[in-house]
Amino acid sequence: MLIDALLYDGKSSKEHKVTLDFTFGRRVKISSHDIDVALEDIVIESRLGNTPRVIEFPNGVRCKSEENDKIDQVLLDFNLNKSKTHKIESSLGLTLGSVFLTIGFVWFMLTGGANYTANILANILPQTTLEEVSTVTLNQLEKTLLKKSKLSERQESIIQAHFDKLTNGDSRYKLHFRSAPEMGPNAFALPSGDIVLTDQLVALSRDNNFRDILGVLAHEKGHVVEKHSLRMAIKTGISSVIIGYVTGDISVIASTIPTILVNSSYSRDFEREADAHAVKEMKKMGVSTIYMANLFEALAKKHEELKDDSMVGSLMASHPLTSERIEYFKKHAENN
Amino acid sequence: MEELIRDEDGVESLQKKVQDDVSKETEHDFKYFEFKGNASEYFRIWIVNIALSILTLGIYSAWAKVRSNRYMYANTYLNGSNFEYNADPVRILIGRIIVVSLYALFVLFSQYLFMFEIAGGIAILALIAMPWLVRQAVGFKLRNTSYRNVPFRYEGKVSSFYGFFILHFFLNLITLMLIFPYSYVKFKMLILDNAHYGDGDFIFFGKTGEAYAIYIKIFVWSSLLIFAVFMFFSFIGAGLGIIFGDMLSAFDPKISTKIIPILVTIGVLLIYVPFIFWNKGFNDGYFSNFVRKNTALNNSPLKGEIKPFKLGIISATNALAIFFSLGLLYPWAKIRYLKYKLEHTAFACENYDQFESHGYVTGSTVGEEMIDFFDIDIGL
Repeated sequence: MLIDALLYDGKSSKEHKVTLDFTFGRRVKISSHDIDVALEDIVIESRLGNTPRVIEFPNGVRCKSEENDKIDQVLLDFNLNKSKTHKIESSLGLTLGSVFLTIGFVWFMLTGGANYTANILANILPQTTLEEVSTVTLNQLEKTLLKKSKLSERQESIIQAHFDKLTNGDSRYKLHFRSAPEMGPNAFALPSGDIVLTDQLVALSRDNNFRDILGVLAHEKGHVVEKHSLRMAIKTGISSVIIGYVTGDISVIASTIPTILVNSSYSRDFEREADAHAVKEMKKMGVSTIYMANLFEALAKKHEELKDDSMVGSLMASHPLTSERIEYFKKHAENN
Repeated sequence: MEELIRDEDGVESLQKKVQDDVSKETEHDFKYFEFKGNASEYFRIWIVNIALSILTLGIYSAWAKVRSNRYMYANTYLNGSNFEYNADPVRILIGRIIVVSLYALFVLFSQYLFMFEIAGGIAILALIAMPWLVRQAVGFKLRNTSYRNVPFRYEGKVSSFYGFFILHFFLNLITLMLIFPYSYVKFKMLILDNAHYGDGDFIFFGKTGEAYAIYIKIFVWSSLLIFAVFMFFSFIGAGLGIIFGDMLSAFDPKISTKIIPILVTIGVLLIYVPFIFWNKGFNDGYFSNFVRKNTALNNSPLKGEIKPFKLGIISATNALAIFFSLGLLYPWAKIRYLKYKLEHTAFACENYDQFESHGYVTGSTVGEEMIDFFDIDIGL
């Protein structure tokens, strides 16, 4: 078969009009340039839309031909490998399939999929890794933000008793009393089961028996049980990769804003899960959740968060709105 | 300032000579670049690239990059011949793995393990390697581009990159970035004066004064535009507030406090984001023209006739189209932008056959992938 092409000898930028002759003896001839080589010695690059097809000859010679369909016919006739990629690209069904696969994948990963993958990975990773990570984190925090607790012995013993009852003596869980003036009223759990409670939060307690603090500890235990910190880390990774890939060029703004929105809604889901865990544990122990509601009211007053009861506030909040949570705990207190 | 400009006397006089040659011959036969790619064809390539990358857990992405670049280059024509992109996907994959793992380690140490010494160490190493990586990326792009089977080459020395980045880092620090246009011109010289097409030599003769003029022009136009847009919308906003404010609060006093933040969010999205992209295109237009008209290959000049304002509009409407199509119009937008830029670029060459090839060379891709990953614009 004869195919019109342009030849570049690889030595200079001169362009030559030539005719490639594919013969039945599986040879390719370019008579004007004394080229006569075996079909196996040339490389026909994969087809890419309708761009000129590149054919590489030995000694750096390259030909380009616009006759893509003829070249495809040659590949077929001589039983040479044809690139599958162009086949996919030129099939309407497979391109549409790619569109649906991509949209489906992105949607799945941004909704349930990241969660699902994170759960699998969270269960595969050994407990010792989590403990090592937590120890390092805790040590770092001890150096910077956390100071020795100033709680009285009575306060500590009541809360410790709640904690022991809550964890049922499981040695995995450890409670650390610390003062953190810069952090303020707070409590957090590390994946290893170390739970840190700040004096500043205890100071907000409105119950002499610290039943509200019990609720907080149950909430934190919920984070550990559900492996939230690990799931969060994995989700952040997955969603930022997807968003970066899909948006391509508009990298700076377009990929950071959705990542923040997605991630904060993730952590809101986690907080809800932990709240549900707290309600379950408190009911089991026969403690009313009204104490939690009261504590949140005290917290809200401190933060004056109720002001932020707007759409934007709700979208950006990493915790469910405090007012929402107060309602939640009140509702469960009534149900008791 | 004077002394700084005269630091490379040899190059200066050569640049002067070429510039004189170029401007003397007013009768240049300028040929415009042509772009023959179309959105529907590229859409298919793009979406199949993504789907295959998903199915192979990202491994195909290196092949996807090559395929996508090959499409863009192969559709770029000058004087009837097209360009070629020759990068090896396997090397790109290796570069990608190295960059992504280093970044993952950095995030792991800084955000999850709080081992700031190690995270800082990684960052400092990356910073120290930066000039070398930028040089690698520039070289990689040029080496893998060819035209008529003659590849481009890059001969910039690693030491000149270290020299450039160290000197200009401190110069910008001391002058509070006021010297940046000068740094920009020097960087373009570092890139273009060491770039070759076969045995042909590129030369850049842009003047610092002109770069300053462009920065000032961009600053003035952008400020005027922001001012006009804000005036317009605050008039409309105030008007709407007067008309609807009472009506809304008659129904529910809380509703206005709920609606205003939503309106503000939408307003920011529809005005601020397009403005940023307009500005990006506007800048690109001015600087692309500046570089093109001050660059020559041997004695053959380039020319840029991009309308910066129009490129800004293309950039902003592209961003909106991508946003509202949830990314699906990305291929269309990319082609639209590239086509406009290329078809307003011209090159005047007496003899397209004259260039002798130095052959193809391969090399490391880590620099290229780092530039890609962090979306750093080295402006080639």
